[in-house]
Amino acid sequence: MELPEYALKGLQLLADPSHFSDKTFHILVEAAFESLLNPQTDGATLDHAELGNLDLTLVKQCNVAIATCVLEAGKQNADASTLSTVLEDCRLGGERIDLFCATYQKNKDKVESLLGGLARYPSHIIDASWRLEYHIRNNHLHKVNQPAYLLTLNVENGSRPTQDVTFSCTMEQLQDLLGKLKDAAKSMEKASQM
Amino acid sequence: ERERGGSGVRERERGGSGVRERERGGSGGGPCAEARAGAKMLLVLAEEHKEHLGFLTRVDAAVVGEFCRIAVEFLKKGSNPKIFEGAARKLNVNTETVQNGVEGLMYLMTESSKMMISEVDFQDSVLVLGFSEDLNKLLLQLYLDNRREIRQILSELAPDLPHYHNLEWRLDVQLASRALKQQIKPLLTLKLHLEQNGRRNASVFQTDPATLLHLIRKLEQALNEMKTNHCRRIVRNIK
Repeated sequence: MELPEYALKGLQLLADPSHFSDKTFHILVEAAFESLLNPQTDGATLDHAELGNLDLTLVKQCNVAIATCVLEAGKQNADASTLSTVLEDCRLGGERIDLFCATYQKNKDKVESLLGGLARYPSHIIDASWRLEYHIRNNHLHKVNQPAYLLTLNVENGSRPTQDVTFSCTMEQLQDLLGKLKDAAKSMEKASQM
Repeated sequence: ERERGGSGVRERERGGSGVRERERGGSGGGPCAEARAGAKMLLVLAEEHKEHLGFLTRVDAAVVGEFCRIAVEFLKKGSNPKIFEGAARKLNVNTETVQNGVEGLMYLMTESSKMMISEVDFQDSVLVLGFSEDLNKLLLQLYLDNRREIRQILSELAPDLPHYHNLEWRLDVQLASRALKQQIKPLLTLKLHLEQNGRRNASVFQTDPATLLHLIRKLEQALNEMKTNHCRRIVRNIK
């Protein structure tokens, strides 16, 4: 697992007991994970009382190093030994390595979720709503007397703006659409059993 | 195609002939009249329209048959003014008379089809024209033979929303992305084909297995609505 120079430097600083006591190390690691996985916190986690008397630049550098390391490990699906090796090379002590790896394991799923959501993809359908109407007449034709459905598919695409798609269909067309979706579901089920 | 010659079904919008419907007997007309079962629906033909159609009595049966054929052809494919000139020369009348006659027929057909008037009501409406028994029969047959297709054409003039045309789907498994190298993420990619005003477009979407099942449940619910008593009652009673 390769890490950029600034991250390695940051980890080395983190390893040094003269910069960080065991307690502050623990607090900083927890805070770093928190601000990475919880975007709303926005750095507020670093406002911890215990970290107050430390050099701000130092704290920031180490925070970035931890985040970089965690993201790279997540991206590569690194196992515990790979992570340990990197931390050893940065001269972290045994206890600090164990703490770091344990915190990583605990948050691994969240890291993968975060990374998995970063991609370009076609708009993702999240919901649908429907309206059933009975078309009686229009100004060109009387006695139409046909049911009609209006469907809206709600979509999302990360933080990009999207437009829900709305369309009308007859009963037959809705049956066709539903039939095709059911085929897809069956095929999905078969595939998951392989 | 139907716009060719500026005629065809759009003819109805021109000043031309006026046709109104009126309820015979009962308490006056108005659009609600039709909803009442058994109400008589007569086409009230304007004087000018009657005059135009009167031309049909002055030509022989073969010509009338030909005019009927042309009228329906024009409704389906748009009108062709040159035909009027040719016919006028052969019959030794002026072009306008021929045109009015054919367009009168077209208008009679579209109004009757639009209202979906019954056989009996059509026959009664046409009686006022004072045509022969044979001509009346011919017009009725023309109406009955063509009204479904004419209604189909008229339905295309109504406001159109994008409507469903087709759905293609593809099952994928996402294995990696730039941000996450090792994944097994099942995905359904969908291509939804919609059509509006004759133009088609397609949009690509994706969804996950859980949402797919949710969508299926929702749409099944929508489809089953038509089978409820409430909807059945409405369908039964609105005619």
